Formats: sequence, C-alpha cells, structure tokens
Amino acid sequence: MRRSDLGEFEEVVLLAVAALSPSAYSVSIAEELEHETGNAVSTGAVHAALQRLEQKGYLRSELGEATAERGGRRKRLFTVTALGGRVLSDVRAVRNRLWDRIIPNIRLEWS
Amino acid sequence: MNPPRLADRLLTWFCAPHLREEVLGDLHERYALRVKGRGATKASGRYWLDVLAYVRPEFIKRKPEEYPNPAMTTMLRSYLTIALRTLLKNKGYSAINSVGLALGIACCMAIGLYVVDEWQYDRFHANFNRIYRAVEHQKQADGMHNVAVTPGPLAPTLTKDFPEVEQTVRIGRWSGTVGYKQKVAEATGMLIVDPSFFQVFDFPLVAGNARKALSSPNEIVISESMAERLFGLNWAQQPIVGQPIEFTKDDHFTLAGVAKNPPVRSHLQFDVLLPYKWLEKTDEWSQKWNSNSYHTYILLKPGLSDASEDLARFETKLSGQLKHYQSDTENTLYLQPLRDIYLRSVFDFQTDWGKRSDILYVRIFLAVGFIVLLIAIVNFINLATARASQRAREVGVRKTIGAKRSGLIMQFLGESLLMTSLAVTISLVLLQTSMPLFNDLTAKSLELPLHEPMFWLALFGLTLVVSLLTGLYPAFFLSSFRPVQVLKGTVNSLGLSVRSGRRFRQSLVVGQFTLAIALAIGSVVIYRQLAFIQDKKLGFDQSKLLYVRMKGDLRFNALRLKREVEKLPGVARVSATTSDLVDITNSSNVEWEGQQPNDAFLITNMNVDADFVSTTGMQLAAGRNFSWRIPSDTSSTMGAFLINETAARRMGWTPEQAIGKRIRFWGPLGRVVGVLKDFHFRPLRVSIEPFLFRFRPDNAYFNMLVKTAPGASSERVIAGLSSAYKKFEPVSSFQYGFVDQDLDAQYRTEQRTGRIILYFSILSIFVSCLGLFGLAAFTAEQRTKEIGVRKVLGASVASIVTLLSKDFLKLVFVAIVLACPLAWYAMNRWLQDFAYRVDIEWWMFALAGLLSVTIALLTVSFQSIKAALMNPAKSLRSE
Repeated sequence: MRRSDLGEFEEVVLLAVAALSPSAYSVSIAEELEHETGNAVSTGAVHAALQRLEQKGYLRSELGEATAERGGRRKRLFTVTALGGRVLSDVRAVRNRLWDRIIPNIRLEWS
Repeated sequence: MNPPRLADRLLTWFCAPHLREEVLGDLHERYALRVKGRGATKASGRYWLDVLAYVRPEFIKRKPEEYPNPAMTTMLRSYLTIALRTLLKNKGYSAINSVGLALGIACCMAIGLYVVDEWQYDRFHANFNRIYRAVEHQKQADGMHNVAVTPGPLAPTLTKDFPEVEQTVRIGRWSGTVGYKQKVAEATGMLIVDPSFFQVFDFPLVAGNARKALSSPNEIVISESMAERLFGLNWAQQPIVGQPIEFTKDDHFTLAGVAKNPPVRSHLQFDVLLPYKWLEKTDEWSQKWNSNSYHTYILLKPGLSDASEDLARFETKLSGQLKHYQSDTENTLYLQPLRDIYLRSVFDFQTDWGKRSDILYVRIFLAVGFIVLLIAIVNFINLATARASQRAREVGVRKTIGAKRSGLIMQFLGESLLMTSLAVTISLVLLQTSMPLFNDLTAKSLELPLHEPMFWLALFGLTLVVSLLTGLYPAFFLSSFRPVQVLKGTVNSLGLSVRSGRRFRQSLVVGQFTLAIALAIGSVVIYRQLAFIQDKKLGFDQSKLLYVRMKGDLRFNALRLKREVEKLPGVARVSATTSDLVDITNSSNVEWEGQQPNDAFLITNMNVDADFVSTTGMQLAAGRNFSWRIPSDTSSTMGAFLINETAARRMGWTPEQAIGKRIRFWGPLGRVVGVLKDFHFRPLRVSIEPFLFRFRPDNAYFNMLVKTAPGASSERVIAGLSSAYKKFEPVSSFQYGFVDQDLDAQYRTEQRTGRIILYFSILSIFVSCLGLFGLAAFTAEQRTKEIGVRKVLGASVASIVTLLSKDFLKLVFVAIVLACPLAWYAMNRWLQDFAYRVDIEWWMFALAGLLSVTIALLTVSFQSIKAALMNPAKSLRSE
C-alpha cells in the first residue's frame, strides 16, 4: 500500500467524511473542519480534496437531494469505500503505535 | 438575501459545466449559513473568497466529450469525392461555370499584365525615387501653360544654388545622320545630354568609360543597335571606341562609347547621344534664359525623396528660380517625379517628347477587366444558389449525422476553390493562346511571365480571392438549411429553397446585365465618335496627299526639288511647307491693327508657298492667295499674310474687312491678303484656333506636300519622288508619309480603347448570357411537371415559351433602364475630351438594348422551347 498519496488535509477530510456519514458533503465537511480547527476552510479546498480522494478510490459519491438555500441545486454526498476505511485504520494504527512508544514523562512536559 | 451576482457570473464562466450545479449549490448553502451566523456583509466578503478558492485546474478543466471530435481533415476525402461527383453529374453547369469564370479570370489577368507593364516604366533606374524633372508654368499671351522644357542655363544654377540637388541632366532633341567610313545611318532618337546622364540614369555602357564619356564637345555615344548598323553584326569584336564618326561637316566626332539599348519600358529612347557641350558651341540659344528647349532632370540627395516636408520646401524655393536669373519673367518651376512622367504627363505645345501613355486608359482597362470578372463571379453565385435544392438533401443528411455548420461551409468553399482552380487552369491556356490578339489590341509585346514566382503568387492570390467571392454566399446559404425541413418530405423542400434567395439572384442578374449593357452602349458611342472623326470634313482634302521630309541642306533647296517633282508623272500639285498639316502647334504672339492694349493671343503659323492652297484644296473666304508674281508677297519689309477665319474673328474683323489690314508677326509688318476658310490643323479634341500663313521662299522648308493625280499609282509616284530626292540629298534617307494616315494615327489610343471596350463588352454579354442560359435551364427543369400539366390541359407551345421567358426578359429590361444613365454619364465625360463630338442619341441606347434583349431572348428561348416541346406523357410519368 502506497502511503505517500494521502496528504494531511486529505486525511482529515477523509476522516470527516467517515464521521459525518451519511450526510457528508462539501459544506458540512467544511463547516465541521472550521468548527473543529478554528481556521477558515473553504468549500473549494474541501471539494478539491474530495475529488482527489474519489479518484484514488477512497470515496464514492452520489447526488443527493436539493434544498431551498441551495437554490434548488443538488448536493454531492460522499461515503467512504472499503479501501478508504482500510487506509484510515492503517493510518490510525501507525499513529497509535507511535503514540504508545512515547515515554510518559515527556508527554507530561508538553501539557 | 442573495449572494453577489457578479461572483456567481464569474464562477459560471470559469467553472466546468458538469461541476457547476454542485459547486454553486455548495456556495449558496454556505452563504445562507453565514448570513444567519454573521450577517450579510461579512457573508458576501467570504463568498468572494470562496468563489476564488475554486480557481483550480480541477474545476476549470472541461470534461472530455463523450464522442470523439473528428479533426477538419478527416472529412476532406469525402468532400473531395462529393465535389468531383457533383461536377461530373452536372456537366452542363460545370462547363458554364468554369468557362465563364475562366473567361473572366483571363480578362482580369490580361488587364493585370497590361497594367503591371505600364506601371513598370522607368522603374529600372536605381535612383527611380530620387529623379525629378523640373517643368514650367509658362505665361503666354492667352494664359498659363504647362511646358516640360526649361532654359539651358537652368541646370547648372540648380546644382550651385540648392544643396538638395545632387546632380542634374539636360536632355535635348536633335536629328540627323551619323556615318562611319562609307556607312551612313539615320538616327531614330538623337538626344543631347550632359555627361551626368550615365550617373543619374541607369543606361550602362557596354564599351567606353561612363565616367568620362560626353565630357568634351566632340564625343558621341551610340546604342548597340546603332553600332550594329554602322559597324556590322560583329561590332563587339572590333575596337570601335575612339573611331571617327561623321555627323556634321564642320566637326569631327569620335566615338566615346556604346550604350546598351534602352529598355522598352523607358520613357527615354535613343540610339545616338551627343554632348551638351557641343550644343553650347554651335547653338547660342542653348545658353540663353529666354529659350525653352531642354528637359531638366534633377537627382535629389537621398532622404529628400517622397512626399516629405523637405521636398515641399525645396519645390517652393525652386519655383522662383527663373525669376532669380531673369527678373522680367513670370514663369515658375515645379517638380514632376519620374514615376509620373510616363503615365501622367500633360504638357502644352508638344514640349514633352518620348514615349507616353495615359493613366485614364489604364483606369478604363482596369475597370473593364474587373467588370467581366465580376459578371463571371455572379454567374457562379447564381447557379450555385439556384441549384441549392439539389444539394439540400445532402446538407440535411450531413447535418443529421452530426456535421457542423462550419464543416459544411468549409466543404462548399472548398468546392468553389476546386472550381476556381479549374477555371484558372483553363484561363491560363486561353490567355496563352490569345496573347497575340491581346498584344495586337494593346500594341504591346506582353507574354505570360510563367517563370516568375511573383506571377504564380499573384495567381494563387487571385484564385483564393475569386473562390472566396464565388463561394462565400452559396456556402452560407447552403449550410443554413434546417435538416428537419429539408428531409421531412411532406413540405416541398425543393420549392422552398428555390424561392429563397430568388430576389437575390434576380438582382445579381440585373447587375450583370447592367454592366454588360453599359459596356455595349459605351462601345457604340466610341465607334460613333471614331466614325465621326473619320468622316469629319477637315477643311482641306487630305486624300492622296503625300508629305516628304526635307533634310539637311535640302531645306533651303526645297523649291529646286519642287520644280523637279512637278514634272513627275502622276503628280498633280506640289507645295513646299514647314509643316505636314498633322497637329501643328507652333504658335507665337501676334500684333494687329486696332489691337487693344490688354488684348493678346497666340497664333499658330506655318510657312508655305503659293501652291499650298491649290495642293491642299483649302478655300478662300475672302481676298486672294499668295502669288509668285507679286514681289511684295515675299518681301521681308512689308510682306503678305494669309489668315484663317477664326484669326480674323479674333482680331475683330469679318473676312472681307480683314483684307489689307496690317499685322506684325515675328518682326516685320505685313498685310493680310486673303482669309482662308477654317480648317482643322490639330486633333478634333481641340477647337480651331487662329492660324497664319507666311510666304517665305528664302527660309527653310521642312516638308513637301505632294498631291497625286487621280488614278495615278502611289507606288510609282513614291518611287519617282525617292529618286528625285536622292539626286539632291544623297546622304539622308528619303522619308515620306500619307497625310490622311498620319491624321488617323492621332486617334490611335481612341481606336484602341474602342476596340478593347467592344471586345470586352462582347465578352461580358457572352458571359452574362452563359449564366442566364444556366438559370433558364434550371428553371425549365424545375418546372417540368408544371409544363407537363399545362400541356395536358391544352396550353400552346407559344404560351409556355412566353411563360418561361417573361421572367428573365423583365430582368434584362430593368438592366437596360439602369445601364442607360450609367453609360450616358461615363460616355459624356469621355466625349468632353473632344471639342468636336457626336451627340449621344437615343438610338445608341436602343441599339445596345435591343441587341442585349435579342441575345438574352435567344438564350432563354432555347431552353424554354426545349421545355415546351417536351412530351407531357414523359414528364408526368415518372412520379
């Protein structure tokens, strides 16, 4: 498995899709990320990342329902594919292993 | 509460269409959220930022088309095949189109060659753009005149006074014979020039030194052709430079060089060049300010040429130059660029010699050539749109399968390119074969410059332009069909498409015939005017009248020769004169009894003898003729004059009153002894002016007029004249001519123009009718069924022919109505050139109109009769 093709932002977006499923789309993800990180996140950036992830096969999409505030336009809803799920858990496993190896004293100094 | 529209517009512009829906939806939804949270102003600001965040390649890149988009070239083969098939399927139309177009293009090319040839005159000089000629506005008794000659001393002062002038050349005219040992040859063009002649102009010497030649008074330069005449064919092998050349009795000339024959396209033509220094020695007038006899050419310094301000300033300074050296003169100088000399020289008193053409006739030819081409192009457009219905199905099918309009336009343009190329090929063949005829018409020796790349480039350009002109309208017209309408079948799509554009076609036909008929009227008027000139009584009898040039010493011995000639068999009358009655322009000031102080005019004059009146058959209005027996007639103190009626009228006398009145002309006073009836001594372009005859047997006579007896053979008379002439003047050649032929030759340009316009009007009517023929054939074909039904119901052949021809004849009639004022205007302007002219009469229009109607009727009725005679059973069966 090639790891290098999952950027940091992509990883966050992928996670957000998983977290927000089944109603994950550009606006909800961008709002969520803005809320979580406190930084401005544009739908354009999110949408671009979503497209890339879909191309890589980690996501799949379908057109959802239209709402009034969207001016009657449909939204594109994303869900994580099996491959995407596996990649996410791989990433998490790597992280966990590394976390676990940190000596407790050092962790205390940070906080 | 809406997001900024401008931002939306921007986004719709750059965002790929297939992403537009979700992106815009996202943006709007988020905007709504923001408005709720932070207010509209902040939301709008953020909105802009959000929109700009979409400026990424992922969103801009368009989704690739689902189906492959073929390149332009993919269909080329199909287009070519279809084009060839249509060409071959409609052989008649193809032939009409290509032949018509080929004729038009051939005309256009021929005229193009002619114009290029005229335009190239004098351009071989390296200094072409820097050479000017100083010419004069001359004040004469009757007003200002433009003359091309200037005083001899002018040129040296120009180089001295003006820093702008690099060099000057004076060119004068001379005549005579040159000899080497036993060989004698008469020069056809003898020029007197300054040594700078070879530096200013590009007339290279093939032998001798161009830097030094003609710098001393007794040098002579001859042309290659003259060298051949004097030294034989192998003159180039002989050391001829430095050989003595006989020219006059008193001076010994040496040959200083041999010049290359001047190019045909040069307004300066010569075979002998003499140094100006020699003239200064022999002719005192060449050094005087009050004698105008020489062309003064100026080579300006580089950087001054073309219409710059410096040039204008120089010309202003130059204009007062004569006044500077000759305070009593009112004459001013101006500049004539070398490029204008051949085509745009209009000078009085025949002061401008050498080869000349006229820009007016270049323009006329250009216009006529384009008219024929235009008519041919119109044919093509007409036939292509008329036949549109045949192509409509094809267009429909192509469009249904997915052809785009641009592709179809390219297809039809390509077809016209193919057709035009075919026509150009035919026209090249046509032109090559008809070149002798065209050369005869224009009196040039043109040929197709087949090995010049410029020619092929021009041809290529012409092909492109013509195919665009012919193809553009049909291409847009044909490609505009809607496939549904064309293919539906229930709607008569054929009828529909024939109707559409019918008005357009009709106006094109009217335009064609207007031009053709106008040309026809033009040629009728020109031929009437030429016939008028031919038949016009000139006031003397020019038939069977010979002139013989007196040369050398014979000019003073003319009366002795005359006595000899009078004895010759077949000679009726002989008179020694100074002029040959063809275009006499030698005019001077005159004073007369009872002249008012401010009254003055120029009188044209010639010296004659007492037999002049009987030789030419002129008639006396009053008084008597000169007489050999009355001594006072030839006296230099109180001589006698004959004047013409116009002169008498101008001086305020009736012919009878004029007799005995005193006149002073060129010094001595004299009396008017007789008044001659008016006669034409100049071309009919100008009206008759005052004329005066003197009887001066002691002065030089330059011509001898010989009237041959009725029934005598001219050949025998000429042979007799020649041997008599040789007896008195063995050196120079015997030169003679017929007065009536020379008079006729004055109208050569008009005759040539008349013939060209006649030929081109025939061509244009032919090409127009070719188109009409095609249209008529097409209409007849379209209405086959209708004709069948009419015949079954009892229509006569005549009624059907009328039915079919009527529409076309109507157009021709409209064309006649339009052409008449057009032709009247143009011909009226042309006739203004003649003081004596025919009136433009109604029958000229009627003749040209009737002719074109007849030809059009013949063309159309051929098709109509064919259609009308068809068996209805046959035409109706195939449904």
